[in-house]
Amino acid sequence: MDFSVIRDNLDYFLIGAYPDGPLGGAALTLVLSVLSGIAAAVLGLVLGIALSTLKGWPRGILIAVLGFLRAIPVLMLIFWSYFLLPILFHVDIPALFTVVCALSLIGGAYLAYSVHAGIQSLPDGQWAAARALGMRPVQVMRLIILPQALPIMLPSFLNQWISLIKDTSLAYVIGVGELSFVATQVSNRVMVHPTEIFLFVALVYFVFCSSLDLLANFATGRQQVKQR
Amino acid sequence: MKKLTALTALTLAVLSGLAHADRLEDIKKSGVLRVASFDSNPPFGFIDAKSKQIEGLDVDYAKAIADKLGVKLQLQPTNPANRVPLLVANKVDLVLANFTITPERAEQVNFSIPYFSSGQQFIVKKGTLKSQDDLNKWRVGVDKGTVNEGVLREKFPGAKVVAYDDTPFAFTALRNGNVQAITQDGPKLIGLLANVPDKDKYEVPPFTISNDLIGVGLPKGEAALTEVVNQTLVELESKGQAQKIYDTWFGPDTKTPLTRLYKIGDKS
Repeated sequence: MDFSVIRDNLDYFLIGAYPDGPLGGAALTLVLSVLSGIAAAVLGLVLGIALSTLKGWPRGILIAVLGFLRAIPVLMLIFWSYFLLPILFHVDIPALFTVVCALSLIGGAYLAYSVHAGIQSLPDGQWAAARALGMRPVQVMRLIILPQALPIMLPSFLNQWISLIKDTSLAYVIGVGELSFVATQVSNRVMVHPTEIFLFVALVYFVFCSSLDLLANFATGRQQVKQR
Repeated sequence: MKKLTALTALTLAVLSGLAHADRLEDIKKSGVLRVASFDSNPPFGFIDAKSKQIEGLDVDYAKAIADKLGVKLQLQPTNPANRVPLLVANKVDLVLANFTITPERAEQVNFSIPYFSSGQQFIVKKGTLKSQDDLNKWRVGVDKGTVNEGVLREKFPGAKVVAYDDTPFAFTALRNGNVQAITQDGPKLIGLLANVPDKDKYEVPPFTISNDLIGVGLPKGEAALTEVVNQTLVELESKGQAQKIYDTWFGPDTKTPLTRLYKIGDKS
């Protein structure tokens, strides 16, 4: 194995052609992950609360939309919104925005069910007691339910964020120069070092995902100490 | 992906009738010419190790067209399967990516006059191909979304065709023994082999199974833009610039010396 190919192309792997071109490589993977991770979490929280509180036909519509988003592959959503929307509605959606949207919509749909499950896991008595104290529904959710439910949901959120980091590699399909895309470009130029290059790529994804894991454990660890 | 692409291309082709047309005006107004080129196929289009930008023969032609229009060139990486959707969805103005002119594609996109010609050839491990008939029993790698795939199926119906995303992928499969031969346009294969350190182990057998003309892909119905591109290509040839571009990538001093058989304006 000859890892000089990694050293020679390191800055291209890490930041792409930046500053002479658009940001790419591992940095772009990180940006895409953070943006869609935050958007997916917010979306998941809102939709999950809606799923727990809505009744009747609005709930039916929400379930149908979530079902649709969970059923289509991310790759398809990225591909179709990039190539089809400009023609149907004459709107030109930038590639990066398409990727963030697709990842956060699908991530948000998955998280909505985690949030819903977390809220449902609390006994009905919590609701009843809070209402008996004269709290309005919004206050019950904000002050009583969510503070207890969110720590329960954290492992689900973490799962979703980790899978989201890896899903950013699907952006290749519309030519977004994230880590795996630039790695393929280099691999195709030098031809004989795919093993070294993709081992390095795997390492970078591993570092990203396990840092997130460590960060979450650190945060919850402190949370638990505080509660004791 | 192949099904997905074909389906998209079809849908887009149907819907694209609704789009308005005068791209030439739009380009001049915005001051930017958006071109899709390969990023993995030396010497047509590849990421240069030093500049980190896409460079190559196709890119030089794209630069010449942008200069003629007096606008800035903006390159977008593409792969064989993406070329038609990029044009139909108005994501780029031109495709210069070793794009073979075919009647089927011409139903969805416009083509300029040809600026390059090549024949479909094979790479095999040295000494393994005894006769062309062997190909009928072999596993053969192709790039999905290319003309080569159809020609291969037609000429060698017995071959087991394995489709890959791009030529370097297909070559990796050959190297690892997943397929016994890969097929692509000859100049592209020679360009690929030139970058392989152990190229002595491989050969391009000296026969071609098709003759392809390469043109610039443009959005369907953009007559004015097509006319400008055609004019530019003819001018490049008459002023000797086309020869210069060719020599940069295929001239005698390059890694891939290849005699120039086709000049812009020649009849095939």
